[in-house]
Amino acid sequence: MIANAYELIVYILTLFRVYEPLLNVFQALGAEYVLRIIIVLVEIAVLFVFVLLTVMFLTWMERKVVAMVQSRYGPMVTGPRGLLQPVMDGVKLIGKEDIIPAKADRWIFTLAPFIVFIPALLVFIPLPFGESLIISDLRVGLLYIIAISAISPIAILLAGWASNNKYSLMGAMRAVAQDISYTIPLALAAIAVVLLTGSLSMVDIVNAQGGAWFGVIPQWFIFIQPLGFILFLIASIAEMGRIPFDFQESESELVAGFFTEYSGMKFAMFFLAEYAHLFAVSGIVVTLFLGGWTGPVLPFIPVQITSLVYFLIKTYAVIFFAMWLRDTVPRVRIDQLLNLGWKIMVPLALLNLLVTGFLVTAGVMV
Amino acid sequence: MIDIVFLVISIATIFSSIMVVRSKKLVHSAVYLAGTFIGTAGLFILLKAEFLAWVQVLVYVGAVVTLILFTIMLTRKGEEE
Repeated sequence: MIANAYELIVYILTLFRVYEPLLNVFQALGAEYVLRIIIVLVEIAVLFVFVLLTVMFLTWMERKVVAMVQSRYGPMVTGPRGLLQPVMDGVKLIGKEDIIPAKADRWIFTLAPFIVFIPALLVFIPLPFGESLIISDLRVGLLYIIAISAISPIAILLAGWASNNKYSLMGAMRAVAQDISYTIPLALAAIAVVLLTGSLSMVDIVNAQGGAWFGVIPQWFIFIQPLGFILFLIASIAEMGRIPFDFQESESELVAGFFTEYSGMKFAMFFLAEYAHLFAVSGIVVTLFLGGWTGPVLPFIPVQITSLVYFLIKTYAVIFFAMWLRDTVPRVRIDQLLNLGWKIMVPLALLNLLVTGFLVTAGVMV
Repeated sequence: MIDIVFLVISIATIFSSIMVVRSKKLVHSAVYLAGTFIGTAGLFILLKAEFLAWVQVLVYVGAVVTLILFTIMLTRKGEEE
């Protein structure tokens, strides 16, 4: 049983008879930990490249889905079906002048895009992409994810404040108000899943959904927790700040919200963080409610590969849903958004938690 | 190895907690305060208290610093300089 990506790399190296000689070389130098650090760096590099490629693909996919809904073609010129469009966009953004407004707080203005991007990347650490394809199976994985996501509002506030622009500040205020009010139903819906599993570890949560009722219906938590799933999905779309909840950048009112003043590479960082967050949150929805990487085991193919494919299919289904929603539904008003959050979703999430807790204690569930 | 990590984290934590007091602008102080809390969470991780560490990040960095930033931004700008 291979527990995480580190052990998987060691396993593959051993399979090709490379690990032992390498280990011997480093042991002879008396620096065994250097090899460990190198393997961890390889993991991080793979994750980073994966996230970058995913973000590029997602920007292309978003434009294609919008085009599909609006009966257009979308990007078609660069590469087959416009697949290289994100590369051109990236080159354009790198080539842009990096403007810092005269009255901006230079230090925080420069720091904010990085503080936005780092949590978006850190969230991937306890996310199981497949059987043993996880950077680290933290014992408190879910808590870690919620805690790390709580850092991004600070960065948004800083970005909005440092720009010294009224639209930026208003966008940031709205973004944070929304983030804070929707984190509560998000966390409460996730806690119901934790009650069912009895563990905060993401791998345990996936394993708890491995079986099937009557051999046909998969034991995903979406069937036990339908209300929790809906609440979690709405709250996570609101947390991502996408239409119908995109108050932080509602173009018709706030120019571009908290990143109005950003250009060039710093703007690209916000963009990158936004799409990395979209993928991460969809992955979390899949892990908590849609069975994660579980699926029928196929003969002759390593379970790591099939589970990765199942995970990606489910995640892209959730992402497609978010994009579809964006193209179909108009933006709600800010008072409607806060009413929905505090008056409907928080009580419903509490009710869901209460019923789940009662049923778990009574021994009906689990 | 652990000793080096401990030294790095504690120096960063102490530095940022000094900067909380010494910064000229309140917002900078708040950023350093977030750094201090994250450093403390790092120390908790070194002590193998993962749960405490992430609760520290969630409550202090996520809620307290956000609250402080909100307060700073919604109140009148002080007479700087």
